[in-house]
Amino acid sequence: MITGTDLRDRLEHDIKTDRYVLNMGPQHPATHGVFRVVLTLDGEVIVNAEAVCGYLHRGIEKLAEARTYTQVIPYTDRMDYLAAMLNNLGYVQTLEKMMGVEVPERAEYIRVICAELTRIASHLISVGTYSIEIGGITGFFYCLRDREKILDLIEMISGSRMTVSYMRVGGVSEDLPAEFLPQVKKLMKELPAAFDEYDGLITGNEIFQARTKFVGVLNPETAINYSASGPMLRASGVNWDLRKARPYSVYDRFDFEVPLGRNGDCFDRFRMRILEMRQSVRIIEQALEGLPEGPFMGKAPKVIKPPVGEMYHEIEGARGILGYYLVSDGSPKPYRMHVRRPSFINLGLLSELCRGWKLADVVAILGSVDIVLGEVDC
Amino acid sequence: MFGKGLATGLEITLKELFTPKVTIQYPEERAPLPARFHGRFTLDKEACIACGLCQNACPNRVINCVRTKVDKKNVLTGYHMDIQYCLFCGLCVEACPKGALRFSQDFEMACYHRENVPLVLLAEGDRPACDVSAAGGKEVKAGD
Repeated sequence: MITGTDLRDRLEHDIKTDRYVLNMGPQHPATHGVFRVVLTLDGEVIVNAEAVCGYLHRGIEKLAEARTYTQVIPYTDRMDYLAAMLNNLGYVQTLEKMMGVEVPERAEYIRVICAELTRIASHLISVGTYSIEIGGITGFFYCLRDREKILDLIEMISGSRMTVSYMRVGGVSEDLPAEFLPQVKKLMKELPAAFDEYDGLITGNEIFQARTKFVGVLNPETAINYSASGPMLRASGVNWDLRKARPYSVYDRFDFEVPLGRNGDCFDRFRMRILEMRQSVRIIEQALEGLPEGPFMGKAPKVIKPPVGEMYHEIEGARGILGYYLVSDGSPKPYRMHVRRPSFINLGLLSELCRGWKLADVVAILGSVDIVLGEVDC
Repeated sequence: MFGKGLATGLEITLKELFTPKVTIQYPEERAPLPARFHGRFTLDKEACIACGLCQNACPNRVINCVRTKVDKKNVLTGYHMDIQYCLFCGLCVEACPKGALRFSQDFEMACYHRENVPLVLLAEGDRPACDVSAAGGKEVKAGD
């Protein structure tokens, strides 16, 4: 005779559904571009999530080999197109390290201002799209409204909104325009209030919290083992920010904090970005205060010919550690370029994070990793 | 209390209802463009010394500047840009020693036919100085 308890036991342990494979993407709005996930499901539960990337592969590393060092700069914009200034910065700093070029003080400050503005703009997209992915369209428009102001400033400096190509070996391509300083100061006053708005609209929302808190938990050991970086790593409570840990440029002169998460869940990863934006505002304000007079371009040779050898240099990008590896054979073109793209490496955790969670959580987890496909595929 | 976060959010959206609108009704209204805006290119034909630096600076080989040598001096006789491959990075404008090549504020470059896309800043035969080639000037391709 089968008792009720037995039946429940059987239902829970013995009776299983067939596993099936569900394809998500490459045309899926939540994947932020052309990206495909092949999900193996047991009922509604994820057994395995296989990331398939390469739909946006343009071979930028290979293209670089056929171009002079300066001509590669516009290509770096197109990797993480949401944070082009940071890509520029990593690339030119690698070359400067290779050639021992001195960068004037003013240029360093301009670079920090631009890099942090871009970091805010990039995080705004991340925060906004995450709000959409959880089902709240409103939050997105608030983020884009403020990102627009930052893009206007970046356009004022470089002439382009996203693909800036602003930094050069030895400095930056042009000095800050006169109308820039009052506007950026005004914006820095406005932004903290805007961050409060996002907190009220998105972070504090009960539905949002129910969908993200304790979902896709990443413990610090796994994060380190997978060499995750950026907000993803710090959400798990690992204090590793290159701006603090190994300061480059003039970051050692600014007073800012590295926000850390406690649980390593989707909510923490989302929260990291809002907290980081607040810190970026602090950095920009300090940089504006200390902005020295002087040249914006150092003494760099016209034709860039680094000595034979190799160089690896990394900076803290918007999504994690952005590293450039350059090999020079003494010619004006790089022999080999490799980029450590944080999105790509963070994406390796996708399967680990999704396993055991429900199908509906995949979008929440993927959004919290915050990938940019231009960077994943390069 | 459950629902407090929702109420806060609604309060923020309600407040936004009374703030001025930020949307610009393009094309009736236009946002002001910054002076450095990367729009369509313009070329000051008189200032250009046909050095070909812009052509060499381009990462995508967009620029083709046709030069004619007259009395050991280069004269520009044609200037074409395959603008469909242009990245608008500004390396060519930066490379110009005479400030002849510049960005304009024109960004509306969409057109109906593909053959209209390439930008001809100086067509061969446009230039009165072009009769120099008849006077024995030999055409040289920049970059050779």
